[in-house]
Amino acid sequence: MKVIDRSDLDALIEELIASDPRDVVGVQEDGEQYVFDHLESADELTLDYDLTALSPKKYVMPQRETLLTYDRTDDEYEMRAEADPTGHIVVGVHPYDLAAIEHLDKIFIDTLQDEPYRRKRENSVLIGVTMQDVADNCFAASMGTATVDSGYDLMVTDLGDTFAVDIGTFEGDRLLESTKTRNATAEEIERVAEIEADLKDGFDRELAFPPAELPTLLEASYDDMDFWEDYAEQCLSCGTCNVVCPTCFCFSVDMVRDLDGDSGRQERRWDGCLLEDFATVAQGENFREEVAQRHRHRFMRKGWYIYERYGDVACVGCGRCTRHCVADVADPCEVYNELREAQHA
Amino acid sequence: MSDASAPSVSDGRRPRVAFFDFTGCEGDQLQVINLEDRLLDLVEVVEVVSFREAMTEHGDDYEIAFVEGGVATAHDERRLTRIRENADIVVALGSCAAFAGINALRNDQEFETVKERVYGEDSDSITSYPIARPIDDVIEVDYEIPGCPIDREEFVGAVTALVNGAEPSIPNYPVCVECKFEENTCAFERGETCLGPITRGGCSATCVSAGTHCWGCRGMVDDPNEGAYTDVLEDHGLTTEEIIEEYQLYWNWQRDSRAVADGGNR
Repeated sequence: MKVIDRSDLDALIEELIASDPRDVVGVQEDGEQYVFDHLESADELTLDYDLTALSPKKYVMPQRETLLTYDRTDDEYEMRAEADPTGHIVVGVHPYDLAAIEHLDKIFIDTLQDEPYRRKRENSVLIGVTMQDVADNCFAASMGTATVDSGYDLMVTDLGDTFAVDIGTFEGDRLLESTKTRNATAEEIERVAEIEADLKDGFDRELAFPPAELPTLLEASYDDMDFWEDYAEQCLSCGTCNVVCPTCFCFSVDMVRDLDGDSGRQERRWDGCLLEDFATVAQGENFREEVAQRHRHRFMRKGWYIYERYGDVACVGCGRCTRHCVADVADPCEVYNELREAQHA
Repeated sequence: MSDASAPSVSDGRRPRVAFFDFTGCEGDQLQVINLEDRLLDLVEVVEVVSFREAMTEHGDDYEIAFVEGGVATAHDERRLTRIRENADIVVALGSCAAFAGINALRNDQEFETVKERVYGEDSDSITSYPIARPIDDVIEVDYEIPGCPIDREEFVGAVTALVNGAEPSIPNYPVCVECKFEENTCAFERGETCLGPITRGGCSATCVSAGTHCWGCRGMVDDPNEGAYTDVLEDHGLTTEEIIEEYQLYWNWQRDSRAVADGGNR
């Protein structure tokens, strides 16, 4: 573990903004919320935030993205891959969001070999930050994502006048090359461990059982339609919970023609299983027509289906879905705890 | 949807297109004119034979009719019927044509009072129907481009689809989706109310992005959970009267139609 003076960390970020060809983005205040956005200077960086509106997923899998363009000349179609391979330097990522990106890596890189994702991801640098503030709805400690040991290039912890820096990758190490750092003392290493340990007390919300039990619990709850319908009655089916989720990765692909019909582009955009048309297929058949089916699907997917396919529980406990749900029915912690209680009643 | 079809650009002939205005502000046609440079691209693929707001010529030989505005008079009905007879494809342009929009605000009010308020002493000479209606209450409509005003890109997208022999489509996800894409602070969090959660998206949440809230101008999504949404508004302190007022601006006709389908409960 290294230690860097606060002013040297600022200087490092200024240096990256000035000289790195990639866009440097970080957490900053935006009205009453925090967002990841382009940094004009290190001063804009706010590292003591609780939760950002969207996760940094948007830098590796943008809300909207052109995948290819096409042109017709005579009877030949010429297609060109257009997805932007440019990475970002992302500063201030909380551990649960790092866990979410590691999870997406498994899906998009290891499994789907999705080039638009892979290139952006591999060209990006993630600088994590130990949580200093916990959002009301966050239950990352329960999901084991309040702290992480991997998924970052650098991980910084605020120690006051200095930051402890844990080097996660060779690329992270190289970033520090021209910056003044020293090795951490035993006390400083101890202090980081204490901060991480104390963090657990900061969470108001807690899953009442180990998340490893989720797949079994959900499998047993699949047919409990009374439970799901009860929730769905209040659900607006607006898809907000999907859109703000750091691990939701579903998308739709649209062919967008130019007026002449001979050229155009293929675009993908985030889609979500709560939206009515998400499961509509050819001939208009919708295999999750009822809100209750869609509502259930989201919870099943986070806690069971994804586990079956990729070995992860797909909820990192960030609490964004809870925070943004105007109908207040999206909280995984509450839903899972209620299911568990019902099953043990 | 009918089995409507128009000659497409691939036939080597540009489809003939006409624009018509009924009761409305003509703001949707203005959006078409506001395409400016792109209008030139547009007339490469269609031949405009009638567009009162933009040209003096008028022809009755057309395949595609874009109709703006709602139906207010018997004359409107006759004129619309003729348009339907002439056109292979009828597209409702804007919220008044698609679902009566703001015009339907008066549907719950006493008609004589409405007339007097708008026309004063001349109100006796007004021969309007007491109820404002969308055009599909009179004729069969093939496609709708909602919005107040319409989104220019959505209009170009619809023309692109039609001239290439495809079906124009509009999103069925609510405004919230694109609003979250934009990372706007939720209007509810700002202490306002917002119709975004059950309003049809496709507008890039333009009103919320500009600092206000969604007024519902694109109409409701296909299957809105209106009951749950009413609860949300109540939780945010709105009275029944205030909630009805929120819904009335654009949705009066849509809500009545839904209520009829539900057996009268609304």
